[in-house]
Amino acid sequence: MKPKTDMDYIELYAEKLKSDNSLFKQQKKLIESQLKGSSSLFSNMFSGKNFKADARKYLRARGLI
Amino acid sequence: MAKGYCLQEDIIVIDRDLTELDLFVKDFLNILKRYSDYLIVSGFVSISTGRARGTEDVDILVPKMEEHDFEELFNDLQKNNFWCYQSDDPREVYQYIKDMQNIRFARKNEIFPNVEFVPINEKKKIQFFEFTHPQKVRVKDFEFKIPPLEFEILYKEKILGSKKDKEDAKHLRIFFSNILSKDKFDKYEKIIRGN
Repeated sequence: MKPKTDMDYIELYAEKLKSDNSLFKQQKKLIESQLKGSSSLFSNMFSGKNFKADARKYLRARGLI
Repeated sequence: MAKGYCLQEDIIVIDRDLTELDLFVKDFLNILKRYSDYLIVSGFVSISTGRARGTEDVDILVPKMEEHDFEELFNDLQKNNFWCYQSDDPREVYQYIKDMQNIRFARKNEIFPNVEFVPINEKKKIQFFEFTHPQKVRVKDFEFKIPPLEFEILYKEKILGSKKDKEDAKHLRIFFSNILSKDKFDKYEKIIRGN
């Protein structure tokens, strides 16, 4: 089957991963690059002594708390 | 080529290295487990078993705690470099728990990833059922509890139903196709549909 949709790719990937754990290496890179990206973004936004106060203001404005 | 997972005495053992996200969850659980039982649900279940997507929060069900126990947990988390989005005052945060509202914790000076701490009790029937029927997963030296796979798949397909949830469910259906049970799907579907 030639994958066409997102779901096709998910199916193909999960099927391969079942028999070949080397694909986990790529998954690890993806997860960690996303974490690194959001971490540096928010470190830049709320650097300094008032991290918590500034972060809470931001989170409140977005309805997250 | 090595297989992605195997079953060892009913524990699903995933053959991969730990990620930074695993280490964040592991650190949090190491503290939480001193005070309470727990169950990890939702996105982390799919991601920890190979789904190739990022996440910002990790949902953890925790039985509603008494105020004194919660305060001890809260202080321990703070001492170990976690902060709570809602407040630094455990008595203030406990009001959320009392009202069965979710709270969030992240590492100091970070917002993401965070743990969404979900208080549950017997009145939350579906969540209480999955909490009382845990499936253990192990990655290297990190062992944690998730719902039964069939339950998690059905919950994502039938209750949550977003594109992301359906994709997560698809991943779990394919990756674990060798160990999923039709009988369990039938049993859990009745519970999820409430009959």
